Amino acid sequence: MRKLWMTFLKDAKLSFNSFYFYMEIGMALIFVAVLLFVVPENFESSQKFYIAMELETADTETFQQLMGNSEDVTVLDNRSEIVNAMKKDRSSVGAIIRKNDDKIVYEMILQGYENESMKNLIKAGIEGEILTQIPGFSSQITVRTLEMDSEKLSDRINIIPIYLTMNVGLMGLFIIAAYIFLDKEEGVIKAYAVAPVAVWQYLASKMMIMLMMGLITSFITVLAIVGFSVNYLYLFGLIVAFNTFGSALGLFLSSFFNTMVKAMGVLYVFIMIMMLPVISYLMPSFNPMWIKWFPSYPMMFSMRELLFENGDQSYIMMQIGIYLVLGLLLFVAANHRFKKTLTV
Amino acid sequence: MIKVNGLYHSYSNDENYAVKNVEFEISKGEVFGFLGPSGAGKSTTQGVLTGLLPLQKGEVEVVGYNIRHPKREMFNKIGVSFEQSNVYGKLTALENLEFYRKLFDVETMNSMDLLKWVGLDHVANKKAGEFSKGMKHRLTFIRSMLNNPELWFLDEPTTGLDPAIASQIKDIVKEKNKQGATVFLTTHNMYVADELCHRVAFIIDGEIKLIDSPRNLKLQHGEKFVVVEHLENDVIKKEQLSLIIDRDKARLNEIISTGKIEIMHTKEATLEEIFIKVTGRGLK
Ligand SMILES: Nc1ncnc2c1ncn2[C@@H]1O[C@H](COP(=O)(O)OP(=O)(O)OP(=O)(O)O)[C@@H](O)[C@H]1O
Ligand SMILES: [Mg+2]
Repeated sequence: MRKLWMTFLKDAKLSFNSFYFYMEIGMALIFVAVLLFVVPENFESSQKFYIAMELETADTETFQQLMGNSEDVTVLDNRSEIVNAMKKDRSSVGAIIRKNDDKIVYEMILQGYENESMKNLIKAGIEGEILTQIPGFSSQITVRTLEMDSEKLSDRINIIPIYLTMNVGLMGLFIIAAYIFLDKEEGVIKAYAVAPVAVWQYLASKMMIMLMMGLITSFITVLAIVGFSVNYLYLFGLIVAFNTFGSALGLFLSSFFNTMVKAMGVLYVFIMIMMLPVISYLMPSFNPMWIKWFPSYPMMFSMRELLFENGDQSYIMMQIGIYLVLGLLLFVAANHRFKKTLTV
Repeated sequence: MIKVNGLYHSYSNDENYAVKNVEFEISKGEVFGFLGPSGAGKSTTQGVLTGLLPLQKGEVEVVGYNIRHPKREMFNKIGVSFEQSNVYGKLTALENLEFYRKLFDVETMNSMDLLKWVGLDHVANKKAGEFSKGMKHRLTFIRSMLNNPELWFLDEPTTGLDPAIASQIKDIVKEKNKQGATVFLTTHNMYVADELCHRVAFIIDGEIKLIDSPRNLKLQHGEKFVVVEHLENDVIKKEQLSLIIDRDKARLNEIISTGKIEIMHTKEATLEEIFIKVTGRGLK
């Protein structure tokens, strides 16, 4: 243990002297700055709706009263004004409402890229709006994506789990491999290998460095963006578990190669594959069963639970447990392999 | 201290051996030289003996431990200096030594003293990455003696150093040996081998051709010459005469009896000449 600690102190000194450390901190700060100053609290997601009414004045006024209070609906005079407005905002839709033999009919004006389901949504929106003529119905024109969860994070906070997963679980893969190969190149691994210390102490020290960096960058980010409403004990647990898993995986993978260049390809493929669940995270409609088996899936979703006000704590605890165990198993495997290959 | 039996090693794990059927023993207190041209398999042998390369075939015992089942604690008794210096470039010379020192369970030497020994004390707090090649090499060398090793592996300890520093290093090796350290020394410099080693092994293409003391080798393989410079009719004449060939011996007697010798000295075959004679190959 004393030797592990000595090795860790040495590695820490080396990383304070190295570029990776400042790069990671720098990236965290840039990420925080971008989130705070560039990304809006919530993305603009509602659709502009242009409407023209070819009705008698009395009816027009009724409609305008009903709709005028909605920001997303703009009442225009005629078809050509609608078309012009829609050309300027390619995400908007329009409709013309007229009376035909005492029945109210409407004509949808679309951009052309809308698919069937979108058309139905818009139709439902307009019909709902027309129904508001009947007293007792309230205005219901804004179309929004349906939320799976009852709770919703602000768009800004919603991005944090992606960052934490990338930073802690995936980038660690690359950086720990880089550390090992740097040591190999410098030859210092050989000097270490002929001292009365074990390979696992060498590897564990590297993982502790990764953990230290992961904790620093994650805490900076979450503190700056979310503040104190997060359970930092759970955050600590999640970072420790995912970081252990990520860096042990990085160690295991790099044990199959003797240069960074050779290892790069495999590490890259792994990271790309692990990024797939981001799609599920951002687009809840894409959620096939198999994607849940990617480690980054539970990583992101348990981070999100952590950020929810009433997150599922047992889910968080379970993921911490699972990834700690997986990480330790990978570490044992990496150690077993490196015992034979570290100095060759 | 070291027992090696039928050692083979192949980097490609096939019949393409870098080291073939190597056998030797080194006893306590000996300085054993591994002498051979570049690519002969010297570093490979040292690699297997220090556990850096896997033991594929053969039996190796080092400081009483079987290398097939190495124990970490055996490295308390071993010191290894590398052919290519390998120190942390981002740490200072002193930090490099201090870190390494703490990895041992036995009493270690004072880092500053060691730096002084090889003239690096004035750059103790400079980053090793900024060192010259020779400075890094010296740092690698002294790091290998931090734990006062019983068995000391030295791979090309003087190569690439200027003569003054090289002779300093040789003095340190002699001194440590006097204090009891056993030394396994790898080199392709025959002067270093001649000066330091009790016995040398000639190795070529992964095979040991012979093992003997430099003195025996010279007696067996070296022809002794006497070089005489003498005055003959007021002109200085220089002759090289064999001490084996009768005609040369008679000529030497003749010169001695005329008594006009200016300079006379014996010339022995160098280890390099013997190496070439025995193996048919040079050391370069
Ligand atoms: N890492 C390696 N991978 C593959 N082959 C190697 C490796 N290291 C050495 N060899 C080969 O093994 C043989 C012996 O090399 P070794 O380094 O032991 O020679 P050496 O006697 O130490 O030479 P030098 O005097 O140049 O240091 C050479 O043919 C070399 O090409
Ligand atoms: Mg060599």
